[in-house]
Amino acid sequence: MPTLTIDNQTITIPEGKTILEAAEALGIMVPHFCYHKELGAVGSCRMCAVTVHTGPMPGLKMACLIAVEDGMVVTTGDETSATFRERVGEWLMLNHPHDCPVCDEGGECQLQEMTISSGHGIRRYQGGKGTYTNQDLGPFIAQEMNRCIQCYRCARTYKDYCGGRDFGVMGSRNRVFFGRFKEGMLESDFSGNLVDLCPTGVFTDRTFRFKSRAWDLEQADSVCPQCGVGCATVPGGRLRELQRVQSGDNLQVNATFICDRGRFGSGYANHPERPRQARQGDQIVSVTAALTTLATEIRAAVKQHGPEAVLLVGSDRASLETNWLLQRTAKHFGCRVPVLNAHRRRHQTAQMAAFDLSERLASLQDIRSSDLLLVCGVDPLAEAPLLALALRQAVRKGGRVVVYDPRPVELPCDADRVAITPLALQELLADGGVEGRHLRDLLGQAKNPIIVAGADLLGLAGLQKIQKWAEKTSNAERPCLVYPVLAGANSFGTALLSLPEQDDLLTRLESGKVKMLVCVDADPLLEAPEGERFSAALTHLEQLVVFDYLPTSLSQHANLFIPSCPPVEDSGTFINNEGRLRRFQRVLKPGLSLATGDHPAREFSLGTPGSDPQPAALSLQRLIGLEQPLAELHRQLVQEQPRLAALAKLKAGEAGSRVAPAVARPQQIDRLPEQPAQTLELVVSPARYGGDLFSRYAPKLEPRKRPPCFYLHPDELQAQGLKDGDNAIVETDFGSIKLPVRSQPDMAGGCVLVENSEVFPHLIPGAGLSYCVISPGGANE
Amino acid sequence: MSQTTQVLFKNRIPGKTVFLKEFSANGGYQGLKAAIQTMTPLEIRELVKAAALRGRGGAGFPTGVKWGFFPADKPGIKYLVCNCDEMEPGTYKDGVLLQADPHQLIEGMILSAFALQTQVGYIFIRYAYEKQAENLRRAIAEATQAGYLGKNILGSGFDFELHVHGSAGRYILGEETALLNGLEGIRPNPRLKPPFPAVRGLFGQPTTVNNVETIANIPHIVTGGAEWFKDLALTPEGSGTKLFGLSGHLNRTECFELPVGIPLREVVETYGRGMWKNKQFKACLPGGASTPYLTREHLDVPLDFTSLEKVGSRFGTAGVTAFDEDTCMVAVTLNLIRFFARESCGWCTPCRDGLTMVRWLLEMLESGKGTPEHLELLKGQLKNISGTSFCALAEGAMGPVAGLLTHFEQEIVDHIEGGRCPFSK
Repeated sequence: MPTLTIDNQTITIPEGKTILEAAEALGIMVPHFCYHKELGAVGSCRMCAVTVHTGPMPGLKMACLIAVEDGMVVTTGDETSATFRERVGEWLMLNHPHDCPVCDEGGECQLQEMTISSGHGIRRYQGGKGTYTNQDLGPFIAQEMNRCIQCYRCARTYKDYCGGRDFGVMGSRNRVFFGRFKEGMLESDFSGNLVDLCPTGVFTDRTFRFKSRAWDLEQADSVCPQCGVGCATVPGGRLRELQRVQSGDNLQVNATFICDRGRFGSGYANHPERPRQARQGDQIVSVTAALTTLATEIRAAVKQHGPEAVLLVGSDRASLETNWLLQRTAKHFGCRVPVLNAHRRRHQTAQMAAFDLSERLASLQDIRSSDLLLVCGVDPLAEAPLLALALRQAVRKGGRVVVYDPRPVELPCDADRVAITPLALQELLADGGVEGRHLRDLLGQAKNPIIVAGADLLGLAGLQKIQKWAEKTSNAERPCLVYPVLAGANSFGTALLSLPEQDDLLTRLESGKVKMLVCVDADPLLEAPEGERFSAALTHLEQLVVFDYLPTSLSQHANLFIPSCPPVEDSGTFINNEGRLRRFQRVLKPGLSLATGDHPAREFSLGTPGSDPQPAALSLQRLIGLEQPLAELHRQLVQEQPRLAALAKLKAGEAGSRVAPAVARPQQIDRLPEQPAQTLELVVSPARYGGDLFSRYAPKLEPRKRPPCFYLHPDELQAQGLKDGDNAIVETDFGSIKLPVRSQPDMAGGCVLVENSEVFPHLIPGAGLSYCVISPGGANE
Repeated sequence: MSQTTQVLFKNRIPGKTVFLKEFSANGGYQGLKAAIQTMTPLEIRELVKAAALRGRGGAGFPTGVKWGFFPADKPGIKYLVCNCDEMEPGTYKDGVLLQADPHQLIEGMILSAFALQTQVGYIFIRYAYEKQAENLRRAIAEATQAGYLGKNILGSGFDFELHVHGSAGRYILGEETALLNGLEGIRPNPRLKPPFPAVRGLFGQPTTVNNVETIANIPHIVTGGAEWFKDLALTPEGSGTKLFGLSGHLNRTECFELPVGIPLREVVETYGRGMWKNKQFKACLPGGASTPYLTREHLDVPLDFTSLEKVGSRFGTAGVTAFDEDTCMVAVTLNLIRFFARESCGWCTPCRDGLTMVRWLLEMLESGKGTPEHLELLKGQLKNISGTSFCALAEGAMGPVAGLLTHFEQEIVDHIEGGRCPFSK
């Protein structure tokens, strides 16, 4: 490892690092613009000039481009390089407008910081400034090209890193223009990263425009709750309103990017219909009163009808702490163990990940450096967007991606795609003959193979087969890893906590023994299949109790409702797809936004309006009379679950470490249902926008949402006597549905594809292999 | 017509283009035939090195050394690219050469390809040279039919395919790595070096890029030998002849083939037939728009690489643009800077924004609104733009500015003190 001296300080650093990185490690900030740790160094801005005193050609050099050498001597404060950097600062300021007072970037602007550190101050150039006409790039990104310093980071982010194709650099000399080929909403699902990557105020969050100054925001390190990837985020709130979400850093997970769904999908926290007050029947009560009532009623029910009488339900969007406290609550009141996931099949597949695959889990960082990725039964942009970005980075480095899925899986990179029905995919994974052998050979010969497995589409049977493939293609030098795509932010966590006696929600409800159902941050109607059975079972209950922060219809039907908090208003833990513990820190307290127009509230009261909600975890602690600090809670949790030992040291904003692996359990092979004659396979996929519960309550995401329809391959359409745009009726195990049909040539034949979203909540993904019959549906009503 | 030895212009008849029949009749392709049968690629490369040929595209890098970096024996596809993106103001010699004698370049390409063992060649030609591109395409067809191009050339076992590629870009595509990006069809910003094109060039493969005139010399070196080639020059360290493209305030502004090392005075007085309208010589660009000015004190300097470096200028492309005593050198420099600033690709700060600043300073000075501060600023810009940009465009743009500040600072002061350009009517 070479040792070099920068500004009289010595450092030993791995070979291949640059002078800029070595300086950073020493705490010396060399001014720069075009360098970014994820985008790399290109040497265009010339701001990072330093003086290298040693070597065959000493002199002014760009620190981001020079690899460190043993014995190298570098200064950053000498007159030559300091003067040159001041010149660069002056050149970049030639055309820059004096926009700081009206520019959203102010206070978190890299240009402000680097210009000051360059030493440039008073304007000497009195010539004309270049000006541009801005484009309307859609509802998410505002463009102010006059502020551009031509660092090219936007084009490199959008095109090179994220694989977008409708935005880039045009023109030459000091007229270069960074924009879309023509005006219109940016198409990439990662367009929001322009906001974070632009070092000045050219690209800003249009949904946050002129709302708040960065230094006025309450911010904390959090985790995005909208899928199982677990990206680091930094949400910002002010005056009780969650105003924006920025990406956080996590080398293992999302590097430094997030998707648009997570960035612009935070409207649920301040949704006007969010239930903020506890309710008993029709009467508004305090949360304390409601909890007291609840405790009394639970005790009464158990006393009268036994442990089966009260059924507690958690979810994969509730934190680890909340779900574990549910188990403690059940113990405290002598109830039967809670059901932590109303969706039975998702629970089973998540358990597969949490136990049987836990020794061979891959992180997104592993995926980014893999040379062969077999993507089975996943649509990354719909189910785990940052996964799609990670796949792209692997391809950019020379890796290969092979996709087997029935859906028209779109990826921001080249991939070999095979459109295959779910049943055919199961058969392929069972053995697959020549094709299966070929795929296993590819995996076996690769240096770092990873199988990306979609839990919803593959189900337990599919994941079991994937596990066998991973075992078969591992060798002494390296394992074949697996990245399971689970549905919720905490699917892995709830599966890990679940006790064997948990049993299935519907089975218990339909037994007739349950008198009171208590759903905590859970809505089985929206989050589990067989909604009709669940609705029917509800009618036999005496009491429905709901804790939630989303304005769901279940919360309206509750006899007793207690308002809870989303993760931004709480501190807790999720475990993501690959078993990584992710800590989120409270960003802001709940309340109705106090920002009425330009001025905080002018009304005065003892309490903040709308501030009743408290995190479900806290409510449960109060319910069982056990309030204690988070650290103590964790200590007790780890005693019960030693795999979670890393909880003790976990901090928000850190990468987070994996839970300890478990021993794989003996396998029980699920038998697959036979396909009835004359049917098509039914494929239910989450919509990219509106598929997850949070994005349904995010008004900002409306422009990206699509009306529901059935997608069929054009040959299949023709075989069924249908044309693109016709109405069709699809008969399924879950009821009969009428929607228009759309021709989709990139999907598999032999199946019907429909997307689950708020405009089509009837069918839930992950319900297993199912079949349907399609027929023409007549004219529109 | 000049009295000196005509090598490159051997077949040239002004107004006419020579094709295969006349080219062959005059000895064309004899060099190729002999060399490809009797010499090894290594021998040809050694010969070019011994001939001390220096690049004719402006940089003057020794061709033999450049070829020495090239991994001729490496398996896999390799490329030879001819840079015909001649866009420097005042440089037009490649256009004249290809108008006259396209086959000479082709023979040079084939010989060079054989020496470097490159299987594919591209002649990258600027958009405006439509006629020359047409000539080349016709000549390639003739050469292919005659068996000089294609598979197993003249039974040697060597394959070489040659294509003409019309540039879709501006001046920056004369920079070799921007040229390669343009050839590949991507945005033609220059590339970072290292890696150099010999290691990773066109489509990531080993590539050599050479100027038209450089390659046109190869057949002659092969037939005449290294000593003969060196003896063509008038200076001891120089070699070969050079195409001098004259322009500016001369009585005759044409392209002449003259020995390397010819004194400036002879170029101006004999070949340029002296300054026009009975004016006096004031200054000139010796080697194209990006070289520092020479003045009256330099009239006896031999025009060659080393001798011009000694006096603070460069041989460049030998595009000699002469200025008479009524020329405002500030205006000349401003005109040139306007060109370079306009042609900046926009990638790096010193070129994109630095040249903007320099242009504004020269506009202030030329218009009479300049102050002593502007002069100091201009000196500071020269110091900080030289050697700090991503490619050599900005460096070249500073050539005339350096010349102006070295030899004509008094003229600038006169503009400032007089409040106007002293040469304006």
